Amino acid sequence: SSPQTRDDEWSTLLVKVGVSRDRVAFEKLFNHFAPLIKGFQFSRGGQSSAPEAADELVQEVMFRVWRKAPSFDPTVSSASTWVFTIMRNCRIDALRRNSRQPDTDDSLEVDDIWDERFDNQPLVYLQQSRVQITVEAGLSSLPPEQSHVIEKAYMEGKSHSEISAELGLPLGTVKSRVRLALKKLQSTLVR
Amino acid sequence: MIQHHPDNNMLLEYASGSLNWAHSLVVSAHLQLCPKCAAQLKLLNSIGGALLESAVPPANHTDDTESAFSRLMGRIDTNENVVDRVVEDAKNPSPSREPVFSSLPPVVKKLMQRNPVLKWRRLSKGLREARLKTGQSRHEVAFHRIAPGNKVAEHDHRGKEITMVLYGSFSDADGVYSRGDFLVREPGEVHRPTATLDQECLCLSVVEAPVALTGFLGKLVNPFLSIKPQ
Ligand SMILES: [Zn+2]
Ligand SMILES: [Zn+2]
Repeated sequence: SSPQTRDDEWSTLLVKVGVSRDRVAFEKLFNHFAPLIKGFQFSRGGQSSAPEAADELVQEVMFRVWRKAPSFDPTVSSASTWVFTIMRNCRIDALRRNSRQPDTDDSLEVDDIWDERFDNQPLVYLQQSRVQITVEAGLSSLPPEQSHVIEKAYMEGKSHSEISAELGLPLGTVKSRVRLALKKLQSTLVR
Repeated sequence: MIQHHPDNNMLLEYASGSLNWAHSLVVSAHLQLCPKCAAQLKLLNSIGGALLESAVPPANHTDDTESAFSRLMGRIDTNENVVDRVVEDAKNPSPSREPVFSSLPPVVKKLMQRNPVLKWRRLSKGLREARLKTGQSRHEVAFHRIAPGNKVAEHDHRGKEITMVLYGSFSDADGVYSRGDFLVREPGEVHRPTATLDQECLCLSVVEAPVALTGFLGKLVNPFLSIKPQ
């Protein structure tokens, strides 16, 4: 099947999980996303790439996927983008747990700040699975020095200044590579 | 119309999860008022989705998927009756009856719930500040209220300052800022905000290091900071 119908399939399964708590659909999603979450996490390097840590991340992300599935809306995001945002929030949560601040207990939570349920956009009829496929294709056509910084930002969770220090590049260079990459991706969506 | 936005670099750090907590909070407040940046965030999130979809599972990935799945279902079954944290619309804390606290973005309402008592202190004539607990200590996060028509003392900052307008508007030498506008002042930049004449102005601000007042008032308050840091 084409990549497009494949991605639609994950969205359809996710809707089934949300609407009717369908365990067969959920197992299919698990089999698809568990290895991808590990692959994404493994690129982080360092101690966090221990296999046990990746296994735990899979458990936590998929647990939240099950719980939050009723709020999944395929017109707002594709299944993989939605799972990505859940995984990102899990990672931020884990980082915060490791560096407990004295007043964190009664303070805001990760989902308060990174609130993907909130959507103030006027309804635009862009098929989200198509957006996903277009972005995938766009990413693979970026010049390597641009896709490299994008991957470091997302997969390794590094800030621009961390990337600049690691690659020995001026901060301005990292910023402009990111901007150029985004410009290119945007142009593929508008076309 | 919102005129001033976080740049694409900051939005990407927010979407990928590397932007610090306090800056993420104020970016989130902006996103909830700004459809343009919310649309950009969708693109940025879908980059994450695309990278996840094309991730390469590790070669030594030998873990038994079937047993991992049944472990997960075991956890789900024991927690099935635990209801997710109730997501209610933030109740309005008492000060919100004042017009400046009307129609705040949801994340700021939540922030006020976590800070039910606001302690306002007067910084100068017409300028009041209430610090907010946000669960981090790298940045000072605060509400600033400027009385109608009042000028804030000219000042600069030792660290980066991000300000977002929540109500009313103010201006400085560079422009006019109204509800939703997001502005970044780099360390050392000097400015003197002035509220518009007709109404009070409420801002959410995030500052890296304590504000260094440099005007006449600043010299009185902070004599050792009269040399402008570069
Ligand atoms: Zn904006
Ligand atoms: Zn200032």
